[in-house]
Amino acid sequence: MFCEKAIEIIRELHRMGDGQLPAFNEDGIRQVLEEMKALYEQNQSDVNEAKSEGKSELIPTIKFRHCCLLRNQRCIAAYLYDRLLRIRTLRWEYGSVLPTNIRFHMCAEELEWFNQYKKSLATFMRSLGGEEGLDITQDMKPPKSLYIEVRCLKDHGEFEIDDGTIILLKKNSQHFLPRWKCEQLIRQGVLEHIMS
Amino acid sequence: MFITDIRKEFYDVVVNQRVALLVSSDIDALCACKILQALFHCDQVQYTLVPVTGWQDLGTAFLEHKEQFRCFVLINCGANVDLLETLQPEEDSIFFICDTHRPVDVVNVYNDTQVKLMIKQDDDLGVPSYDDIFRDEEEEGGDDSGNESDGGSEPSGKRRRYDEGEVERRIERQRAMREWEARSDPKLLNMCVYMYVCVQAAMVIFELAWVLTKDTKDMLWWAIIGLTDQWVHDKITHMKYVTDIATLQRHVSRHNHRNEDEDNSLSIDCMRISFEYDLRLALYQHWSLFESICNSSYTSCNFKLWSMHGQKKLQEFLADMGLPLKQVKQKFNSMDMSVKENLREVIEESSNKYGMKDIRIQTFGVHFGFKNHFLASDVVHATAALLESTEKDDSPGDNFIKALDCLSRSNLERLHGGIDLAKKKLMAIQQTVASCICTNLILSQGPFLYCYLLEGTPDVKLFSKPMALTLLCQYLLKMFVYGILRCSCLSLLPLIIAAPMDVEKRTVIVLGIPPESETSDKKNFFGRAFEKAAEGTSSRTLHDHFDTSIIELKMEDRTKFLDALITLLS
Repeated sequence: MFCEKAIEIIRELHRMGDGQLPAFNEDGIRQVLEEMKALYEQNQSDVNEAKSEGKSELIPTIKFRHCCLLRNQRCIAAYLYDRLLRIRTLRWEYGSVLPTNIRFHMCAEELEWFNQYKKSLATFMRSLGGEEGLDITQDMKPPKSLYIEVRCLKDHGEFEIDDGTIILLKKNSQHFLPRWKCEQLIRQGVLEHIMS
Repeated sequence: MFITDIRKEFYDVVVNQRVALLVSSDIDALCACKILQALFHCDQVQYTLVPVTGWQDLGTAFLEHKEQFRCFVLINCGANVDLLETLQPEEDSIFFICDTHRPVDVVNVYNDTQVKLMIKQDDDLGVPSYDDIFRDEEEEGGDDSGNESDGGSEPSGKRRRYDEGEVERRIERQRAMREWEARSDPKLLNMCVYMYVCVQAAMVIFELAWVLTKDTKDMLWWAIIGLTDQWVHDKITHMKYVTDIATLQRHVSRHNHRNEDEDNSLSIDCMRISFEYDLRLALYQHWSLFESICNSSYTSCNFKLWSMHGQKKLQEFLADMGLPLKQVKQKFNSMDMSVKENLREVIEESSNKYGMKDIRIQTFGVHFGFKNHFLASDVVHATAALLESTEKDDSPGDNFIKALDCLSRSNLERLHGGIDLAKKKLMAIQQTVASCICTNLILSQGPFLYCYLLEGTPDVKLFSKPMALTLLCQYLLKMFVYGILRCSCLSLLPLIIAAPMDVEKRTVIVLGIPPESETSDKKNFFGRAFEKAAEGTSSRTLHDHFDTSIIELKMEDRTKFLDALITLLS
């Protein structure tokens, strides 16, 4: 049946839910494109025939093939676009350098797109906030204060902050530290943000 | 040295530095710590908060943090011992001490550079003047050499006169030295014998916040809790409590001033502190009235609830007030409105008939939201229960964190959990007191009364903690004095109680409280007594607690320690 391959590649993408990027299905795309080419050529010859010989009974077939072509086109476009959206979120999650295993899953054009996106984002961030620019990929929500209060959940030893001072992170001690230094440790589970 | 201007000499100094806060494990310290943390958040002062439970903990915490910090703020610890001697800090470390324990060690008072005490100097501290204690040795040497050189240049006749003069002066100096030595030792001794507490730390820090005009209702509420803690655990006299309540009442009216206007009243969710002349029944609004009456020390002492006679009297009391038993045994919030309406006045009237003149006490309560109404003593009991909870897997650090959390308004479940633990604690205390009195566990040892809780006593784990044991001790003494004793000679005796502390290490916790009387000034001399007795018998003791009247002792040394105490105090 026509258009089945196209549905298959979309289903494959849909199965890998939640933002993960499966390998680029080169094969599948090629097959769909070949199917489209075959359909188009058949349509071409039928249209010529219909025009020259006036065979109007070929017209439904032509219409049908045309619908299949459009459907294939829509499927491929959806597939490619969804992958691009996922690649975009990867920039926000992982930063500007992607892990190699993810990069293997992207085709050359997607890598090109990713680089362009990175550049656009960087230019935008530089244009904000005066001279230095503002890194908006840092905080999920706009921060309310420069310093936050954190509580240490496990012994972590010494921790150095920007001005060179060293803090001893011992279990059950509480500290009042600059926000940006704590983010990493909060993500690791060593510190806990306390909101009073 | 004493700090006179707390803003300039303390706050302006720490606001530009990183501070280490070493906080002792009691409720007053917790409250002071919360207020100070709120101030530091306002001004973005970086700090590290470390809980400490005793002198050893303080030493360890100091060693760990002394590389990283120059400024240390000690709350409710460190004033009554020579701090520099104990901690051996570097030259540039500064200690700011906000401590309620008195007397203050003289070395701490006269150290100008490193130790700063946040204590008002006019608090009748009885600190001897500098000259009385530290004699300036250099002056005499200077006098001598000056006179000798003068004497040398004169002819011999005069020299002899000068020599005689010099000898006289030397004799005079020696006499003065002896007199001074005779004077200084007893003074020092007297200063150290009686231990008591004074202005609570939370109040001192609240006044700092007020001077900076950064005080909020939350901070005021914490200051109130600090004061109520001192009253609940019987550390201050009634007079002092009433005076301090008056001071706080001024602050409360100042904060409540905005609510006067009918048109712009604040939403019901805002925090409102109100002055209440409320009943002295522990946790009565979160419990049933009946349970609360049975488990509060004041009422159970007066009714003698461990006996059948006492129970009958209680039933009479309730009947006298016209409160149906079913109502009274329900949760307070579910009682009928008609019963609740004039409850306080009705109870006051009836209790006057039964000899309880002070059933109502001045205190404060807080409202926020429709459901949440707490009295200061409720919060004190809840926090104390959390701080000393003996559930498994609860280290002292964890308990400190939980107790600190429950003081914030956003952690109501923690507070309710604390109230439940407090109910269990009060019931355990009540039962233990009843069993102690019924089985005559309180013995008179001559100069003091003594009670020892056996290992098999139910809930004895609860009493391995200092605050719970102090409460038990106070209830026991009150019960004993008001309930049992006919002859008054025994009623002026202090009480020493011992309870098993750690079963594996075979230690007991021993604490002593001063005698129970209306006019007692709550000064405790057991600190020195315990030290001397331990030295005398070479018992293995650990004087780790900041409150010197609480020590840890090995079980085997108990009897000889006790004998030494008896001889010492008689």
